Amino acid sequence: MNDRDEVSQLLARVALRDARAFEALFNLAAGRLMAVAMRVTQDAAMAEDVLQEVFASIWNRSQSSAPGQNQTLAWLCVVTRHRAIDFLRRRKPEEPLYWCSESNQERMHDAPAEDASPMERLLMNEADARLAHCIGALEAAPRLALLLSFYEGLSHGEIARHMKKPLGTVKAWTRRSLMRLKDCLGALA
Amino acid sequence: MNDLDPPDKGYDMNGRRSRYDNPSLIDRLAAAYVAGTLQGPARRRLERIMQRQPALVLAVNEWTERLGPLHVALPPHAVSAGLWPRIAASIGMAPPSSTITSATVARAGEDTSWWRRLFAPIPAAALAMGLALGSVAPALWQTYTAAQRGMELPDSYVGVLSTADGKPGLIISSLRQGRVVDVKQVTAVEVPEGQTLYLWRIDKAGAIAAVGALPKGKFTHLTLGEPAEKLFFTAVELAVSIEPSGTTPVVPSQRFVYRGLCGKLWR
Repeated sequence: MNDRDEVSQLLARVALRDARAFEALFNLAAGRLMAVAMRVTQDAAMAEDVLQEVFASIWNRSQSSAPGQNQTLAWLCVVTRHRAIDFLRRRKPEEPLYWCSESNQERMHDAPAEDASPMERLLMNEADARLAHCIGALEAAPRLALLLSFYEGLSHGEIARHMKKPLGTVKAWTRRSLMRLKDCLGALA
Repeated sequence: MNDLDPPDKGYDMNGRRSRYDNPSLIDRLAAAYVAGTLQGPARRRLERIMQRQPALVLAVNEWTERLGPLHVALPPHAVSAGLWPRIAASIGMAPPSSTITSATVARAGEDTSWWRRLFAPIPAAALAMGLALGSVAPALWQTYTAAQRGMELPDSYVGVLSTADGKPGLIISSLRQGRVVDVKQVTAVEVPEGQTLYLWRIDKAGAIAAVGALPKGKFTHLTLGEPAEKLFFTAVELAVSIEPSGTTPVVPSQRFVYRGLCGKLWR
């Protein structure tokens, strides 16, 4: 059984208040979810606060999925990233994820990868190499816009300011990039 | 408003809005949601709409699966030793401890209701124990007395479903090779006129499949079109939603009103 299957099973048991399953879920998923939260918050303490909220909401059932929604590790990652973005904006409402300092110096919550980049790690896994190939086939600027949104949680506006491109251009880039990814993956399937 | 901002008003009686009949828009919204470009109030509106738009949920599932490797590609980041105790303490689960032993986990359930504690061990065994100790259905006593006599129940599927607020809700059982499901309603939920309770099975990946409409009544039976073994073998959970009478939904149109483990009562 891989991690994703195991997470689904554990989540089903956690829904029934199985404390042992909840601890097992934490042990299995916390490291990956911490990585997701860290990319957005750039702050270990804040990222752990995010994880605390995510796990508490799972236990308390306030983080419920829609009927029919697959509860997988990937779903947990999406939930965690959304929560991290909310957390950061709530904690520092005056400070966007991307901003310019008083000295006009560009600043962005942007954590460097600790070892291999996410793209390199994707390529290591043969099963995920298709996605890496398709992302690699995107043009550089739209790909950067998409990854800034996906990994760093930047809004369209923040990406536009960061890349010094019109907002409409960034929106079109991300939208078209996603559809091209879908087409590319479909063609490779 | 962003061109992808989902409006949250103006639905018809079925909770549908013509805008969401457009597969292209649904796909774009789902992609933006999973990719992270839909943020703030727009994202929260979409999450509300997902509760009643199965097509949108399916699209989100597809995009979550499609982009999932991007998340998993991130190198895991170690959490501090204090995080788990903090989480456990925040939900009143266990005293802070850096090493959670099985004994600690067993104690963790002490503040939950008695019937929930019975779920904590192996699910099938917990279900059997729950059935034996409770007094909410005829099957409970039968389980207990059979065990006392050293007899074994025939191989069966058993589900104990809780309500949305965590109360014992339904007890469902079927012989492993049977075609009849017995349903005991422990806690009733309000079912509007023209609608009915509808039983679903959920597999380990979270995929949901319809089983059938439950007749009204405190103790009822549902006849299956196939043997229970075929329908429930891959199920890890059972759930019940409220659906329009006379329909055969493919996915639930509303939140579940009952949900719980599907146990296999055999060795």
